Amino acid sequence: MENKSLIKKITGSREALLAVILILMIVIVTIINPAFFTPKSISNLVKNNAVTMVMALGMLCVMLVGGIDISITSTLALAGMSIGMLIKYEYISNTFLAFLIAIAIGIACGLVVGLVISRADVPPIIATMGFMYVYRAMAYLVSNGGEWASAAALGTFKDFGTSKFLGLNCVVWVVIVCYVIFFFFMKWTRTGRKIYAVGSNPEAAQVSGINVKNIKLMVYTIMGCLAGLAGALQVAVYASAMPNMQKGGEMDVIAACVIGGVSMSGGRGSVVGALLGALILATIAKALPLIPFFDQLWLNTIKGILILVVVVMNVILQRTADNNALKRREM
Amino acid sequence: MAGKSGRSINNVPENPIKHMLLSWEGILVVLFIAVNIFCVWFSEFYNVSSVLRQMPVYLAEVFLMLTMAFILVLGEIDISVGSIVCLAATISCIVCNAGAPFIIVILTALLVGTVCGAVNGLILTNFPELPPMIVTLATQIIFRGIAEIILGSGGSVSLSNTAGFKAIAGKVGKVPYILFLVLILGVIAAVILGKSTFGRKVYAIGTNRVTAHYSGIHVQKIRFIIYTVMGTISGLCALFIVSSSYGANTTTGEGFEMDAIAMAVFGGISSTGGKGNIAGGIIAAFIIVCLRIGLGQRNVHSQVILLIIGLLLVLAVALPNIVSQIQKAAKVKKS
Amino acid sequence: MNSVKIKKEEEAVSEYVLELKGITKIFPGVKALNNVQFQLKPGEVHALMGENGAGKSTFIKVITGVHKAEEGEMYLYGEKVDFKGPRDAQAAGIAAVYQHATSYPHLTVAENIFMGHEIVKHHMIQWKEMNREANKLLQQLNSDFDATAEMGTLSVAQQQMVEIAKALSTNAKIIILDEPTASLTKRESEELYRIVDQLREKGVSVIFISHRFEDMYRLASRVTVFRDSQYIGTYDVDKISNADLIKAMVGREINELFPKPKVEIGKEVLRVENFSRAGYYKDVSFNVHAGEIIGLTGLVGAGRTEVVESVCGVTHADSGKVYLDGKEVHIKQPSDAMDLGIILLPEDRQKEGLIMSWGLGRNVTLPTMNKYAKNGFNDEPKEREVSRDLLESVDTKAVDIFQPASSLSGGNQQKVVVAKALGQEMKVVIMDEPTKGVDVGAKAEIYAIMGELAQKGYAIVLISSEMPEILGMADRIIVMCNGRKTGELSREEATQEIILELSMEKSSNAGKGDAK
Repeated sequence: MENKSLIKKITGSREALLAVILILMIVIVTIINPAFFTPKSISNLVKNNAVTMVMALGMLCVMLVGGIDISITSTLALAGMSIGMLIKYEYISNTFLAFLIAIAIGIACGLVVGLVISRADVPPIIATMGFMYVYRAMAYLVSNGGEWASAAALGTFKDFGTSKFLGLNCVVWVVIVCYVIFFFFMKWTRTGRKIYAVGSNPEAAQVSGINVKNIKLMVYTIMGCLAGLAGALQVAVYASAMPNMQKGGEMDVIAACVIGGVSMSGGRGSVVGALLGALILATIAKALPLIPFFDQLWLNTIKGILILVVVVMNVILQRTADNNALKRREM
Repeated sequence: MAGKSGRSINNVPENPIKHMLLSWEGILVVLFIAVNIFCVWFSEFYNVSSVLRQMPVYLAEVFLMLTMAFILVLGEIDISVGSIVCLAATISCIVCNAGAPFIIVILTALLVGTVCGAVNGLILTNFPELPPMIVTLATQIIFRGIAEIILGSGGSVSLSNTAGFKAIAGKVGKVPYILFLVLILGVIAAVILGKSTFGRKVYAIGTNRVTAHYSGIHVQKIRFIIYTVMGTISGLCALFIVSSSYGANTTTGEGFEMDAIAMAVFGGISSTGGKGNIAGGIIAAFIIVCLRIGLGQRNVHSQVILLIIGLLLVLAVALPNIVSQIQKAAKVKKS
Repeated sequence: MNSVKIKKEEEAVSEYVLELKGITKIFPGVKALNNVQFQLKPGEVHALMGENGAGKSTFIKVITGVHKAEEGEMYLYGEKVDFKGPRDAQAAGIAAVYQHATSYPHLTVAENIFMGHEIVKHHMIQWKEMNREANKLLQQLNSDFDATAEMGTLSVAQQQMVEIAKALSTNAKIIILDEPTASLTKRESEELYRIVDQLREKGVSVIFISHRFEDMYRLASRVTVFRDSQYIGTYDVDKISNADLIKAMVGREINELFPKPKVEIGKEVLRVENFSRAGYYKDVSFNVHAGEIIGLTGLVGAGRTEVVESVCGVTHADSGKVYLDGKEVHIKQPSDAMDLGIILLPEDRQKEGLIMSWGLGRNVTLPTMNKYAKNGFNDEPKEREVSRDLLESVDTKAVDIFQPASSLSGGNQQKVVVAKALGQEMKVVIMDEPTKGVDVGAKAEIYAIMGELAQKGYAIVLISSEMPEILGMADRIIVMCNGRKTGELSREEATQEIILELSMEKSSNAGKGDAK
């Protein structure tokens, strides 16, 4: 009995299926190239994808309420560029303060987006498209029209990307802490569950007294907050700040969520799913050069096909499940 | 069956001129004039001939807006068009460099675009449950990915024989061909969307897909046609992009989908479907083009121009909503 | 929430748990409730009856604080209350189980039950405890599923069970059930009756909305009738006859309403043979003759709509054949059916029949614009002419053809749907619940149109859940139950009782010999 339910759980749960796929991928790649699966290599993988992984959490919240946010990498650039310039011109030197400023900028950006979407009823794709232009342009303005903050200018801040805490890279720690917080937030708090409720059935949520508008405002603010944090991480990891950082990267974040089983129409998705989606994408990116014939050039094509396969498979599975349920119905 | 109660129902439309000034298109025309006055004041170089000279680069994106309008009226979105432009530009450059006659190059670009659009259409019509945003996100990555594979590690291709592309970048007097083409296609698109049965059906699908289906409209067929034509037009756009840059690289066409959507939405074509017309989209497109040229002449950074466009876009959608909310609140208070 | 203070039952000054006086609710253009009243005694099951559109659902929403009435007062245990929103009503011990489940399909049963009042310790949701409590509630209701199941995977009856469990979890003293048996099988209904009995024993007062007389006789001690947004009366169930109750609900004798003309029935036009679609209907056969009206009836969810939708190409049958004028036809999509002259007037006017934001004229010519178009371009003057004539021919109460469909009342919207059909070449007209949510006056007009169409020799299929309508209009009645055809009756042999029996009897879940 116990065993049976375990197998059923694995095949029935999307997250378990993704985990199996991820493990299989890692095993195969490790067989081809043993250098892939070493603690250092894994730590680097997480570090290099920290930005996407952190923002995937925010995108999860946004997509859970049926929205989308394509302004996030512009917010990232604005926050990252701002602290880059502040450090370069020696207004601040404290790493912690820099992080706080980046997060504050992110929250402000997200709040504005959230207000426009929740209060002025602008469709999320249009509103965030507008702010994608606006925040990216503000990043350029902050950079004095295209200046860089290079490694040399970043002083002690860039050390954050290389320093370790308890034997683990600090950036990896940030990712872990974010995921742990969100895992608890989404599953064990009433606010977290309200996000699911609003996405699953907004009318019912309204009737049961949930303030749908405020929940929407909140998710975009959370998204902005994480994009700001990601901005600081980006600058620390790559030891440079430039206004066109991560341009187009929002699509990777959305892709990670979609692969992780987050539904575009809201209500469905989990923190574990987003994590697995992001890790699968990261593993493919890292493994591709290790596999003969394929090279880095194939990365995008494979990524795109993967997204397509995942969403089409979803539809086919759903159709089969519906058909089976109908056939079971006695008449 | 004659009316039993003898009640008669009016079927004479009101004079359309009356509403013209208050409509969104009316506001856009005023804005267009205002932008031009501003540009003349702002830049001493801003005049008819300089505008005509600088226009072609920006006009290529207006093509995309014309078909994007149809997709938006359907209540859908296609974010793969920028990548289709990239792929079509890449392949047509390679075909051109291989020494093919220019007509073949043109057909190649259109064909590549059409095939890409048809791929979108096939997936979306076979799996109507899928949100177009996600499907075209995937194909956006794939189409550009294929272009990256074709371009190889260099990441770019430049034309070795520019004669044909120079020809399509030509002019009649001072007016570039592309302006004629934009206007002709604009009129065609406006007539199809506004006056034909096809257009009416597109609005019906965008407003209420279920009723449209029950009323015998071939919803999936129409969706397929529109996504395919979107691809064809992207191929056309690619030709003019190559004709101004004499080559293609992995970033060709990046962000074009957003620009096209922005023009259309700014022009009053709602992204939620069923609303707006091509005329509004074209006026909005020319407002943006003029703004870009005028500000660009005084070396205003292109990012600042994008900032203005972004704000205009958000305001254009947010303001009417806010106004109607306030009106509603006022009404409730009154009663 | 402090605005609602309730005296304890012991100090109650009123004999009623809940009393509403002079309630008026106005929606844009419609008076949904006009000066209605209602009294609920402690521990009673009170049926609320009336035709569709009589205002019952709106009334429930006023009680639960979803809508705010423009006029009127509400007393709870004799104390005047004023609910600002659904939360206040919940806090006051009023819970509603709505007709359309207001559940969260992606969340678990336990979460659905406890949404809004989760069990929390140190700001952390206590999942184990919540699941345990939810299972306890579900056990009380004899349910066969676990609290960790995902809501969306449950059957309609099971979801209903969850909704009731949700009401119980708030310790509600007044529970409102809005058409709870509409989509249940007979055995499931029996289960529900038992649960309601249990609630009553616990001292909970129940307001029960239903169209089914059986529900009312089985459960309620008193019944209140609404008609056309107005209060008609409150009666003791054992003191009012069936006929009087119908009269109270409909407002006139049945035969006044249905002016069915005598029509010569011609040759067979449409024949459907052995139609099956997995999960929806099985082995359904019927035919219609020229000038004949057949009634297709049964409970909601019996598969009636699904059968005709497949006939018209909206969906597809897995197997079965359709014959038109004796020749087999293959209908792949709605336009095929329209080309053949099989016209469907769909059930849901707002979602399937009309484009609500469009003008009436464009709605009317939506399926036929190709006919008037020249070279693919719309001939708008011609369309305006045609649509006005059609709208006038069914006597639509409208000012002009440009006003949006949403500005009309339900009855006039239905006339627009009819006008839309009249513009097409018709042989068979299928009307799915044409009078749902239509006021009595407009109903009579729609029946008159139906009669006229039959006189003109069209074959008509009328789908309806309303017994008087079926009995009054149909020449022949086909009853469906749980996806199967359970009987075919001539006009003469049909009675309410036989139809009701046929629509319940052969249900696969029907318990053996547990007739009432």
